[in-house]
Amino acid sequence: MNYKKLVTTAVAASIFAATAFAHGGAKGIVKERMDGMSALGDTVKSLAPMMRGEGDYDAEAVRQGAEVIRSHAGTSLTKLFPIGSGGMPSEAKDTVWQDWEEFAALSERLHLYSEGLALAADNGLMMTQETTANTGTMMGGSAPMASNALGLEELAEMSAEGVFAMISQTCSACHTKFRAEAK
Amino acid sequence: MRLFYTGILTAAVLGSAVVAASVVWPIGKAPEKIALPGDVQRGAYLARAGGCIACHTNFDSGGAPLAGGAPLKTDFGTFYPPNLTTDATHGIGGWSIENFAKAVRQGISPEGDPYYPTFTYPFYANFTDQDIADLWAAFQTVPPVAQSTPEHDTPFPFNQRWGLKFWRAAFLKEPQTNPVPDNGDTWNRGRLLVEGATHCAACHTGRNLAGARKSDTEHFQGNDRLPGGGKSPAINAETLKMRGWNVNNLAYALRTGLTPSGDAFGGTMGEVVLQGTKFLSDDDRKAMATYLLDDHQGG
Repeated sequence: MNYKKLVTTAVAASIFAATAFAHGGAKGIVKERMDGMSALGDTVKSLAPMMRGEGDYDAEAVRQGAEVIRSHAGTSLTKLFPIGSGGMPSEAKDTVWQDWEEFAALSERLHLYSEGLALAADNGLMMTQETTANTGTMMGGSAPMASNALGLEELAEMSAEGVFAMISQTCSACHTKFRAEAK
Repeated sequence: MRLFYTGILTAAVLGSAVVAASVVWPIGKAPEKIALPGDVQRGAYLARAGGCIACHTNFDSGGAPLAGGAPLKTDFGTFYPPNLTTDATHGIGGWSIENFAKAVRQGISPEGDPYYPTFTYPFYANFTDQDIADLWAAFQTVPPVAQSTPEHDTPFPFNQRWGLKFWRAAFLKEPQTNPVPDNGDTWNRGRLLVEGATHCAACHTGRNLAGARKSDTEHFQGNDRLPGGGKSPAINAETLKMRGWNVNNLAYALRTGLTPSGDAFGGTMGEVVLQGTKFLSDDDRKAMATYLLDDHQGG
């Protein structure tokens, strides 16, 4: 094997390795947080049909799901994002560390809402149209950091469906700002 | 040799004439008088659905509502969604409702200049006079913000606005919002929203080299070259069904961002939901999902 061929092979091998790494080769803390996200995804996926009114409502399942979400939210989530843990194969954008305060606030909000969901579990589905309250105004800001966050008492009074929708929107708000989308 | 120079000269003269003619080429229809009273609530709702607030507000940098949006990087340069507050100098405080109607429905500024199609006016062409009056009333409630918007940063030749007149002549088409008899109110309401105000095709339909949507051949087949480098999936009925979407979970996704797989939208679709469709009524989201999941033509 001549030198040129050796270099070519080495380059090809490293590209292959990098690609393989990028596709599911995460390990350590990046793997840990991806698993956490998957647990969150599985939980909302299992609760969503119930929240959409497809099938029987099960308050106990909602409480259990809320507990899983709680266990992966707040500092349990943010501690898995130490400085310098971005880059491939992570899907976290650099904005996580540039706007840490906002990232942490969204994680705390998820934590709060998961506690709220547990308290609201017995309230069941639709009671009010909470999430569309801002409809009729040009000023209805919905920046991720909007200061209209509710407290536990208010959440406990809402329908479980309403709190669950807010949890989902929190996931989406965080992904919108902090997760790289497939290119 | 002489012939050569004559040729060049002729071309130059003709070229200049074409440019001069297109610079003064009048476009659009004369602004019609709109005297209808507007409904602020309805207008604000339409401003949400239409993405006015999402695009003209820089949420990320904590900008005031409608005081100018985040820059949009495209193949044709960087565009800055302007200030639409009631500020007379930097916003639209000095406009008449007729100016506004022409801007929204025809994409033409009060000075008669064509807007770049990054402003999704082609989707708003069928807004009724009542829609315009409602929107106008809602925009009047926006406090003035004295904040200038940077000029669009477009290289030559895209910085020549008269060129857009040719673009309009070649590519500008009426949105397919016309009701289809026998398909029912829900379906037709969905069509009105999807092909009109909510302008799904702006991102979910591929564009040609001139940046015009390939509506005839690639309607809702996705776009791999979104501004900023993202891509959007196909949302034609067949693809949606194949990927596990139904009317119920699609309407729900437009409210919550949650997909059938348990993922939550990020990227620009996250913005669409959080700044737009989550504010719509359940009926409207269901209408959009009904239309999208049924075989339909559009563009």
